[in-house]
Amino acid sequence: MHDRLTQSMRASHLLALLFVLASLGLAAIGAATGDTFYLRLGTEALIFAGLALSVDLLLGYSGALSLGQALYFGIGAYVSALTLMKVPSFWLAMAAAFAATLIAAIIGGLIANRVRGVYFALITFGLAQVFAKVVYNTRELGASDGMIGIPVIEIGFGPLSVSAGSPVGFFLVVLAIIMGLYALTAYLLDTPFGRVLTALKANERRVPFLGYSVWRARMAAYVLAGLIAGLSGALYPMLRGFVSPELMFFATSGNAVISVILGGVGTLIGAIYGSVLLVILKSIIGSWTEHHLIVIGALFMVCVMFLPKGLIGFVRPRIEALLMRRPQAGPVLAEPATLTPIAVKSGSAS
Amino acid sequence: MTTATITTFAAGLLAATALAAGALAQSGPIKIGVVTPLSGTYTPIGQQVRWGLELAAKEINAAGGVAGRQVALVFEDEEANPAVAVQKAEKLFQVEKVDFLTGTVNSGSTLAVAQLAERNNKLAATTVSFADSITGDKCSPNMFRVNARAEQQSVALAAWLAKEKPKAKVYYLGPDYEMGRSTVAAFKSSAEKTGSATGGEVFAPLDSKDYTQYFGQIRATRPQVLYTSVAGNDTVRLLTQLQDFGLLSGLTVVGASGTVTSQNITAIGAAAEGFATGVGYSPQIDRPENKKFVEAFRAANKADPDLYGADSYGVLFAYKAAVEKAGSTETDKVREALRGLTWQTPQGAKTIRAGDHQAMQPMYVVRVTKGKFDIIDNVSAENAIGPDACTRF
Amino acid sequence: MTPIDYLQFVLAPQVVNGLALGVAVVLVALGLTIIFGMLDVINMSHGEFYAIGAYAALALAAAGIGFWFLLVLVPILMIPLGMAAERLLIRPVFGSKDRHVTTLLVTFGLGLIVEDVLKIIFGANTQRPPTPISGASEIFGIILPNYRLFLILVGAAIVLAVAYVVYRTRLGAMVRAAAFDRNMAASLGVPVSLVYAGTFAFGVGLAGLAGVLLAPIYSVFPTMGRDFILLAFTVVIVGGMGSIWGAVVAGLLLTQVQALASLVISPVWTDPIVFGTMVAFLVFRPQGLFGRLGHA
Repeated sequence: MHDRLTQSMRASHLLALLFVLASLGLAAIGAATGDTFYLRLGTEALIFAGLALSVDLLLGYSGALSLGQALYFGIGAYVSALTLMKVPSFWLAMAAAFAATLIAAIIGGLIANRVRGVYFALITFGLAQVFAKVVYNTRELGASDGMIGIPVIEIGFGPLSVSAGSPVGFFLVVLAIIMGLYALTAYLLDTPFGRVLTALKANERRVPFLGYSVWRARMAAYVLAGLIAGLSGALYPMLRGFVSPELMFFATSGNAVISVILGGVGTLIGAIYGSVLLVILKSIIGSWTEHHLIVIGALFMVCVMFLPKGLIGFVRPRIEALLMRRPQAGPVLAEPATLTPIAVKSGSAS
Repeated sequence: MTTATITTFAAGLLAATALAAGALAQSGPIKIGVVTPLSGTYTPIGQQVRWGLELAAKEINAAGGVAGRQVALVFEDEEANPAVAVQKAEKLFQVEKVDFLTGTVNSGSTLAVAQLAERNNKLAATTVSFADSITGDKCSPNMFRVNARAEQQSVALAAWLAKEKPKAKVYYLGPDYEMGRSTVAAFKSSAEKTGSATGGEVFAPLDSKDYTQYFGQIRATRPQVLYTSVAGNDTVRLLTQLQDFGLLSGLTVVGASGTVTSQNITAIGAAAEGFATGVGYSPQIDRPENKKFVEAFRAANKADPDLYGADSYGVLFAYKAAVEKAGSTETDKVREALRGLTWQTPQGAKTIRAGDHQAMQPMYVVRVTKGKFDIIDNVSAENAIGPDACTRF
Repeated sequence: MTPIDYLQFVLAPQVVNGLALGVAVVLVALGLTIIFGMLDVINMSHGEFYAIGAYAALALAAAGIGFWFLLVLVPILMIPLGMAAERLLIRPVFGSKDRHVTTLLVTFGLGLIVEDVLKIIFGANTQRPPTPISGASEIFGIILPNYRLFLILVGAAIVLAVAYVVYRTRLGAMVRAAAFDRNMAASLGVPVSLVYAGTFAFGVGLAGLAGVLLAPIYSVFPTMGRDFILLAFTVVIVGGMGSIWGAVVAGLLLTQVQALASLVISPVWTDPIVFGTMVAFLVFRPQGLFGRLGHA
C-alpha cells in the first residue's frame, strides 16, 4: 500500500491541511479586523486556484498541457451569471454551471483527445480562442463589455445562510468548495482510475496491455478537469458581480499554467499554493512597477528550467522523508490527526 | 475627585481626541484612485490619463489644494481587463480608502467599476470610455462621465459632413465588437438624419492584420465618404493600406474620436491627411486657458495632450469644485454637488447633466492637415448632447 | 453590382491580396516549421523574434541604414541572439522527458519578457517605417501596391533559397540527418549540438527577416508578435512539421480560404475556419500535407 505515490500523496495532504489551517487563521484575523479587500482578494485567489487545479490534473497526471482551460472557467462563470440574474439561487447556479461545463467538456474532449502532447496544447488554445471570440461578439452575452448587475446572493446550507457579500462568509464557502474539489481529485487519483492516468504519463503504449482503455482514461480526466474549472468559474460572478469575455482569454489560461508551474506540476496542492503565490507576487510587483510581465516571465522560466516540481517539489521531499522515517508506518498513518504535529513542524521548518 | 467628575473628565478627553482625529482627517490629503491600463495594448491611453491627472494634481496642490487639503493620486494598473480593474479598484476603495476613483479606459472596465463603486458607496468618473451605455441604459448613480460620448461625437461630425459633402454615399467599416458596432450605428443614424446615403457596411475582426480583403467591396460601392471606428494599431494598418492601394484619393475618411489620436498619428503619416472626426477636445482650441494647459503639459511630458489627457486633467477640477461646493468629501454630498455642476476646463465650461451624469460640452470637428488636427467646425453643447436615456435615477 | 464589376473589383483583388498576405504568413511560418520539425521544439516566442526583427529594422533605419542593407543585416544580427537563446534556454531542458511541453513553456516565458522589454526600450506607441517602394501597379485592372508585388517576389526567392539550403546542400543534409536520428548522425560525425544551435538561430533569423519585410505593411508595436502566431502554427501543422513546401502550400491555401470566406460568409468566421482546418488535420492527418522534415 505504501509505495512512493501514496507517500507523496500523503505529503500533499499534509500541505493541504496546512493550507486550510493557515486560511482559517487568516480568515479569523480578517474577520476580527473587519477587513474586506484582502479577504475578497483571497477568495478570488482561491477561485483561480480551482482553475489551476484543473490544469494540474491534466498536466501533472495525464501529461496533457491545456492552454485553454479558461474556456470551461468562462463557461461556468457565464452560465452561473445568467442563472443568477434570473433566479438568485446558489445551488441552481452551481447545478447549471455543472451541466453546461459537463456538456462542453465532453464535446471539447472528443475534439482535443484525438491528439496528444503539443498538439493537444495547440488545440485547447485554439478552442478557447475561438469560443472567447464568439462570446466577445455576442450581444446577448453583453459582447465585449461583459455583463454587470449579478445580484449579491444568499447561500443557503439547510437552516444556515451565508451572504456572498460577506467577505469572511463567502471566503469560507469558497475555501470549502475548492478544498472539496481538491479532496475529490486527490481521492480519484488514488483509485485505479488515477493509477491508469499516472501510467499514461509514464508510458502510454503499455497501458492498453494492462487492459485499460487509454482513450477512456484521458477523456475522464479531461471532463473532470473541465468540471473543476467550470465550478470554480461559477463562483466568480458571485464574488465580483460581473463577467467579461476576458475571463476566457489566453491571459487567464496562461496565469493558471504559471500558477501550476510555480507551485509544482503533478502535486495538485501545488496548483493551489501557486495561485495564491501568483496573486501575492502580482500585487507586490504591481505596486512598484507596471512591468510585471518581466518579473513573472523570468520567475516562470526559472521554475520550468530549474525547479520542475516548483515550490512544492522543493518542500515535499522533506516531508516525505519525515514520513518514511516513522518506524510504525502502517495503516494508522492514514489518520490525519496523528500526522498533524509533523505537518506543522515540517511546515514551519521549511 | 468624585466618580461624576472622573466620568466628565474622561468624556471630555474622549471628545478632545475625537475632535483631534476629525481635524487630522480633514487636513490629511484627499486620496484619488486611478485605475488605468499601464501595460498591454491600451498603455498609450493610460499614459495620457496619467499625465493629465498628474499635471492637474500638481497645479491644484500648488494653488492650495482642494478645500485646503492636498490631493494625492494612487495609481494601479488594470491591464485593460475588467476582472483586474475591479480587483484593483476594490483595493483602492478598501485599503487606500480613496475618496474618488477615475482612469478606466475600456467600457467593460468602466461598467464593472461603476457597479463596484455603487456597492462600496463611493464615486467614480471616466475620462475616456465613450460607449453610450455608460450614461445610458447601464447608467449608475455613482458613475460620472466628463468626456464626450459616442453620440455627441457623431452628431457633431454628421452636421459637418452634411455641409461639406451633402447627400454623400457613406461606406462603414467598423471593428467587430460591441463598441465598434455601436459607434457605427450611432454615426449611421446621425448621418442618415442629415441626408447621407449608406453605401454598405462591413465589420472586420478586432486586430485584423490586413484590411485589403474589404477593399474590393469598398471600391465596387464607389463611396465618397468612409466612416470607420477602428482604433490604435488597427487604424495604422487600415489607413496605410488604403493609401498603398490608392483608395484615399477622392475619398473623405471620417471616424470615431479614438480612431486617429496623438498615439498613432505619427505611424499613420501621410495616410492620416484629411481624416476628420468629432471630438470634445483639441490642442488647437483657441482659448488662453487651453494654451496655458498645452504648454504646461508639453513642458511636463514632452508630448502634446490629446482628448484623454485633457479630459483627465479636467476631471480633477470638477471634483475640486464639487468638494468645495459640498464642503465635504462624503459620497452623497459630493454626488449632489456634481449633479448640474458647471466648471472650467481647458476646452471651456462643461456642465454635468443631472439626469444621466453626462458632461455637456461644446463639440468640435477636427481634420488632419499636415500631421496636425485643425478645428474646422463646432457644435454647441446643447445641440450635441442628445436625449437623456438613463432611467435608473 | 454587375458580375463583371464583382469579378474585377471584388473577387480577383481578393485572390491577389490574399496571395500577398499568404506570402507574409509563409515568411513567418518558415522559421517556425524549421525549428519545430528539426528540433522538435515549439517556439512560442517565435512571434516575439519576429517583433525584434521589426524593431531592429526600425531602430537601424532611424540610424540611417538603408532598407536593402537591413534585409541582410537584421537576420545576421538575429543569429547570435538565436544561438544564445538555444544555448541558455532550450539546451538545458532539451533532454527532459517532456521536451515538447517544457520547451513550449520556456519559450512562452521568454515571449512575455521580450514583449515587456520591447515596450521599455521603444515605448508603447505604434510606429511604422516608410514603405521602401512606393506606388501601385495595375495588372489586368487589379491594383496592387508595388511593395506587395515586391514582397511576393522576394518571398518566393527566400523560400527557394531556404529549400535549396535544406534539401540540396551538405549543410541541409546534416540538419536533416540530425533530425531523423540524432545518435546515428552523431556517430557519422555530424556535430549535432552545433547543428541544433545553428538551426534554431536560422529559424530566428528568418523570423527577423520576416519582421523587416512586413513592418512597412503591418506596422510595429510591442504586442505585434501575437498577430501571426495562431495562423503560423496552423500553417505548420497543416503543412506538416518541418516541411518547407508544406508551409508554402498550407500558407497560401489557408489565406485564400480566409479571403474567400470573409467575402462569401462573414469576416468573423475567418478565425474559426482556420482553426477548424487545423483540428481536422490534427484529427485525420496529423502528419500534415507533406509529412515532417527528415522523415518524408
